[in-house]
Amino acid sequence: MTVSAGAKFGNSFERWLELHLRVLMLAPAMLVLLTLTIFPSIYMIVAAVTRISPNPDLPWQFAGADNFLRLLTDEQFHVGLWNTLLFTVFAVSTEFLLGLGLALLLDRYIRRLNFLKTVLMLPMMLPPVAVAITWKLIYEPQFGVLNEIMFRLGLPLQAWAGDVRLAMFSVIVADVWQWTPFMFLLMLAGLASLPDEPYEAAAIDGASAWRQFWDLTLPFLKPIIAIALLLRIMDALRLFDLVFILTGGGPADRTKTLSLYIYQVAYRFADPSYAAAISLFVLFMTVAFSTWFIKRMRLAD
Amino acid sequence: MAHRRKSIEIQRVAAYATIAVALVVTLFPVYWIAANSFKYDIDIFSIPPQWIPANPTLKHYRAAFIERPFLIYALNSLIIAVSTTLVSVVFGSLAGYALARFQYPGRWRYQISFWILSTRMMPPIVTIIPLYIAFNHLGMLNTKPAVIIAYTAFNLPFATWMMKSYFQDLPVELEEAAMVDGDTRLGAFLHVALPLARPGLAATAIFCLIISWNEFLLALILTLTERSQTLPIGIAGRVTQYNTYWGEISAAGFTACIPIVIFAFVVQKHLVRGISFGAVKG
Repeated sequence: MTVSAGAKFGNSFERWLELHLRVLMLAPAMLVLLTLTIFPSIYMIVAAVTRISPNPDLPWQFAGADNFLRLLTDEQFHVGLWNTLLFTVFAVSTEFLLGLGLALLLDRYIRRLNFLKTVLMLPMMLPPVAVAITWKLIYEPQFGVLNEIMFRLGLPLQAWAGDVRLAMFSVIVADVWQWTPFMFLLMLAGLASLPDEPYEAAAIDGASAWRQFWDLTLPFLKPIIAIALLLRIMDALRLFDLVFILTGGGPADRTKTLSLYIYQVAYRFADPSYAAAISLFVLFMTVAFSTWFIKRMRLAD
Repeated sequence: MAHRRKSIEIQRVAAYATIAVALVVTLFPVYWIAANSFKYDIDIFSIPPQWIPANPTLKHYRAAFIERPFLIYALNSLIIAVSTTLVSVVFGSLAGYALARFQYPGRWRYQISFWILSTRMMPPIVTIIPLYIAFNHLGMLNTKPAVIIAYTAFNLPFATWMMKSYFQDLPVELEEAAMVDGDTRLGAFLHVALPLARPGLAATAIFCLIISWNEFLLALILTLTERSQTLPIGIAGRVTQYNTYWGEISAAGFTACIPIVIFAFVVQKHLVRGISFGAVKG
């Protein structure tokens, strides 16, 4: 035993490796993340306080807070912010309620057919681009399936994603279709890990199913609900793929999200400085919310 | 009593009906894109819609994969997804193990963990502009390594956290026993902890694969040439200002879904455990 250990430690490289293992094992991941986040962060901050000329030969000019002040008066930005918040609130809350409801149903009534759970999870695994295309096809006003169903039911036909009033709703429906499975999955996992004893005690006390849900299930699920909401909110705040393909931000900017607006400012209007300023705003908003939420829900403990 | 039993029966039927509706709503869009990929254009646009392709054809598959470079896109997607997954899982398990097992001075362990997670809070659109400029300077735009590097950065935080929670769940005694028997710390990691964490490795790998196979925004900005683009970009590219090539898009979109669907059923067990596990431990 000691001999083999001695032989191994005789090798000085191995000893060095062993001594610095806690740093060496962290190093590759840290280096990748540092290079790919520190540089962009510094660039963003520098770009946001300068005026970058479209001519690459001209030097950057210091612009102070100008780019940030533009945020106050830029109506397109306000529209983007409003749309993003609207989308996040309605999409995430619908996904949560549907996901929780389905998880409760399947947990209670489906014992054997486990593959059904996988089937219900499929949408979240599919490429968002394929999902967006599919919904574009379904929403298509002339030959789309949805209008056919409306017609059969005797309801008025709609332009859906192309209608000023319904565009945001259409985007939310497609997102709910893709991401309810995520909530469903997390809730199902939470339900599977519930202890049995409190429920047995509650049943003896004659507590109704509703009381059991309210007093036992919900408190037990709280940590996982909090994490599920946080992850979905962080994702919803940066919605891009779906609107880029389904609506392109239209009609009349009704579905233009902040991510889409940043993309347009950076690549179509070729204004990286202002794009950086908006990006920093989005970043600040997301981090501020996440930190508050993590504290509030006591997720760090 | 009979009355009570009846109301339970009704509840049961209502529950099954709701689940059935959920299944139909979940599956229909996928079916619809599949059905349309096998229809002639005229049938795609038919009013009322054709629920089942009357004259099935492989025309759009031929158009996409033989006449247009969708085969190259698919190959690019595959290479990028597999490479990203390999790098993320290797780096992620190393860092995850370190954060799960080693002591660091002060609150460094907590701070490093939180910092790693916080890099994911940055919306991709924030990091992508500087990355675009950097890759442009390095002459790496339109190359697979550029996309792989960018994807790795986006997958690593997740991979690290998932592996960390898996390692934390392993009993530390097994590794200690191996070290008492003369194994080094690295040996204990390689020979004891890593094999035991196999389900965690599988779950993490599945995640990285799905995320990189599906990713859109980064690839959209980092690749502009046909030779370097991925499947999602290729698909989106068939929605042009003047025309939307529904048939080809459906064929390519459905093809992009197939590997994921097969994969999902093959790895069912790992997948469910993996997602829930990583998330519960957050």
